[in-house]
Amino acid sequence: MTDLNTDVIQGTLDMLILKTLSLEPMHGFGIARRVEQVSRGVFKVNPGSLLTALQRLERAGWLDAEWRQTENSRRAKFYTLTRTGKKQLEQETADWTRRASAIARLLKAEG
Amino acid sequence: MSLWRQFTYGLRSLAHRAKRDRDVADEVEQYFEETAAAWMARGLSAEDARRAARLEAGDMAVVKELVNSYGWENTARAFASDLRFAGRQLLKHPVFTATATLTLALGIGANSAIFTAVQSILLAPLPYPNADRLVVLDTHWTNSGHTTRRVTGPDAVDVRDQARNMDAVSLYSNGTLGVQLRDHSVYTVLAFVDANFARIFSMQPVAGRLFTDADAHHAVLVSEQFARDNFGSAQAALGQTLRVENESLEIAGVLPASFDFPARTQVWEAYPLRPESESRTAFNYKAVARLRPGVSFQTAQTELEGISRQLETTYPDANRNKQILALSLQQALTGDARPTLLLLWATVGLILLIACVNVTHLQLVRSMERQREIAIRKALGASRWQVLQPVMLESLLVSLIGGVAGVLLAFPAVRLLVAMAPKDLPRANEIHLNGLVLVFTLGLAVLTALVSSMLPAVRASRLDPARVLKSDASRGMNRQGAAALRDGLVIAEVAVTFVLSMGAGLLLHTMMTLRSRDMGYQTRQLLVVDADAPAHSEQDTHRAVQQFNNLFVQLAGVPGVEHVAGVMGLPTGDYGSNGYYKTRGGLPVDLGHETSSIFSVASPGYFEAMGIPIKRGRDFSAQDTYESPFVAVISEALAKQSFGNADPLGKQIQCGLDSDKWMTVVGLVGDVRQDSPAENPGPTLYMPMTQHPFYGNQIHIVLRTHVKPLSLMNVVQEKITRVNPFIALRFTTMDEMVNESMEAERFRAVLISTFAGVGLLLAMLGVYGTMAYSVAQQTFAIGLRMAFGAEKGAILRAVLEHAAKLASWGIAAGLVLSLMLARLVMAMLVGVHPMDPMSLGAAALLLLLTALAAAFAPGWKATHVDPMVALRAE
Repeated sequence: MTDLNTDVIQGTLDMLILKTLSLEPMHGFGIARRVEQVSRGVFKVNPGSLLTALQRLERAGWLDAEWRQTENSRRAKFYTLTRTGKKQLEQETADWTRRASAIARLLKAEG
Repeated sequence: MSLWRQFTYGLRSLAHRAKRDRDVADEVEQYFEETAAAWMARGLSAEDARRAARLEAGDMAVVKELVNSYGWENTARAFASDLRFAGRQLLKHPVFTATATLTLALGIGANSAIFTAVQSILLAPLPYPNADRLVVLDTHWTNSGHTTRRVTGPDAVDVRDQARNMDAVSLYSNGTLGVQLRDHSVYTVLAFVDANFARIFSMQPVAGRLFTDADAHHAVLVSEQFARDNFGSAQAALGQTLRVENESLEIAGVLPASFDFPARTQVWEAYPLRPESESRTAFNYKAVARLRPGVSFQTAQTELEGISRQLETTYPDANRNKQILALSLQQALTGDARPTLLLLWATVGLILLIACVNVTHLQLVRSMERQREIAIRKALGASRWQVLQPVMLESLLVSLIGGVAGVLLAFPAVRLLVAMAPKDLPRANEIHLNGLVLVFTLGLAVLTALVSSMLPAVRASRLDPARVLKSDASRGMNRQGAAALRDGLVIAEVAVTFVLSMGAGLLLHTMMTLRSRDMGYQTRQLLVVDADAPAHSEQDTHRAVQQFNNLFVQLAGVPGVEHVAGVMGLPTGDYGSNGYYKTRGGLPVDLGHETSSIFSVASPGYFEAMGIPIKRGRDFSAQDTYESPFVAVISEALAKQSFGNADPLGKQIQCGLDSDKWMTVVGLVGDVRQDSPAENPGPTLYMPMTQHPFYGNQIHIVLRTHVKPLSLMNVVQEKITRVNPFIALRFTTMDEMVNESMEAERFRAVLISTFAGVGLLLAMLGVYGTMAYSVAQQTFAIGLRMAFGAEKGAILRAVLEHAAKLASWGIAAGLVLSLMLARLVMAMLVGVHPMDPMSLGAAALLLLLTALAAAFAPGWKATHVDPMVALRAE
């Protein structure tokens, strides 16, 4: 039996984070949980890369961060998408769609 | 912008390190808590949930570490902490640190100082607007290859009128003359310049105005210094009159102190644009010109060649083979100083090389001491970079400290250099440390760090931990390769130092040769008075000569004075002339090889006063007047050149100094070295002052004394001033003048010797370091030998023999290097062969002794090894 690869595709983590946050502000664990759920377990995010990526995006100006209470009243760092972040997301999404569909076409043509 | 955000976030997290740590920790903990909570929600116990979370998300501490290390500031922080570590390591090894920094400070300091001079003199543009467009005109003879920095008036005017690539050409001449002020006279460096001069240099007066062609012979510009010294201020000087050669001149403007062309000029007198000399064979002028913007040097040169060819056709007699050349002003000014500066630069380069070898060596010793540490790091899996980094960083730190110390050292060194520099060193007043020098020094420091840490670093990275941890250096079980490498470095160091010592030896021997040379006259106890009596017309000059003749009689009566005479053309003096002469009844002369000689105009008693032996015939006398038949005295070299073995007395001679009358040779005197002891004695033609009054108003008065010459200064000045207060006076001694004529040689000899001394010191440190280290390493072996009854003498001998062997190899290598470099200094040697056995022997002996002295202390220590202690030590 082989383990299924649950790594996030290289270079797409930023986009996934931005997309997730475009729905509502969330903390790190929330983002990880959401990615896992929406991808139906295909992708699992490990906290080391996720939290580092969040720092990077925050410094790039695409996210704002704020300490708030969670529903079970624990202090957590919530991230919000900024306007430039939104633009970045649109651009990355468009880029990804273009490339993914090209790959899909190639694979289909081969079959 | 995000870059800005990166920067500010980084700074904030640096400033609030604790808060950031806490935030990251908090965020990571919250993540793990939520993960565990999710598992608990699925029904696991708290304990199992935590374990599951750990399985899923990894180790919390690792995550924290990972997240925390994001951002540029962490790299910077890591670097800073590594640097701190390196600093602590250096502090823990004070002897190593002090030796290495001192070595580098000397090497880098010497380089900064010399580079300062090189930069300020050779590299920095001249301090005039459009300095890169300024050129001087030279006259060159294509047949003989001879070039002079002078031009004739008409040639220069033709260039001025015809050259389209030059927007201004100016003729000037210069010299040191007496300038008469209201009630006295001062010796001044004067330039006679035309109206274009100011335009070429874009001169801006600090007060008053520049002059036009209409001001010729009526107006002067003076330097700020001259205005202050003689009138109090620039403003006060305006409109004042002064007299030069009996012409009354008004001060029209004052030039800023920064303007210094021709060098050291104080007064610029307006001369007409139309030159007064119309001869195409009298090179009475110098010329500067400015190229039009955008005109290349080559274009200007090509145009000048065309003009020269045209002149050659128009004036076939005067201009045959004559070519006008353009040379950049910067090159013209600094060309002579170039070889000396480059020699100095090369020398300090060698010093730096020695310093680098020394530091490499020290680093190597240090890295051998930390072999075990490095081996353990490697065994624990450190990457190549992680092993190299501390070695490199330490070296960088040492170099930077050395660099800073070097710059601090360079400040006084530069001041000393300028103070020692010969008077004719161009742009000496512009020499100062600047930003470029600092950048150069910093670059040098980094370079030395790289060079000196290369070998240790490579060795460290190649280290095989398994072998190192097995072998034990302190028990003498050292790898052979390491010792050979250290020996090699010492040999290299000794070789380079030998080259330096050899160079110093050669230059010092040159100085000694010059000092002991017979000048052809007695330099001791001779007071020299430069005297310039103002004269313009022929009558003026006759009167001046008469006045001087009366003065000589009066001065001879001063107690302490033995002989007095006057002369134009004193050896090593400011005034002089030379040229071609003809004889009647002399040896035949080939066309194109006309005989030439130094011309000197003297009063009766000159030979006696100077101690120049009269070999045959007589001296000039009071009976030789302007009206009586013209006579001459010649030197032996001239007699040999023109009359061979025949008796020269009674022969006829003629020269173009100021009259074409034939002169009868009445005396034969010994030869003198005219310009400096470096020169060979040559032909001189002496003529009486009374018969050549035009050269008799600007003379040197020589007084042979039996008291200290300068002690008579006041009496002599008083006597002369009483006769004529407008005679400009300057006092010196013959010894001093001869000394000054060797300034360039002395400057080189002193500097190179100093550098050789520094090199020796460094080499000594190097040898000492090696010996001390190898003795320390062999303590066990020495102890063992002593335990078996070895003599103390034998052990000391072994250490000294080793040092002597290294030194000998180094000397041999240095000898080969010297042979290759010999021609670099050839031109600077006088009467000394580049492989001079005396310098060679001295350098070899010096290095051998230095090596032995450096090895003695470690050797002595070796004899005092206590076998019991050595064998028990671990």
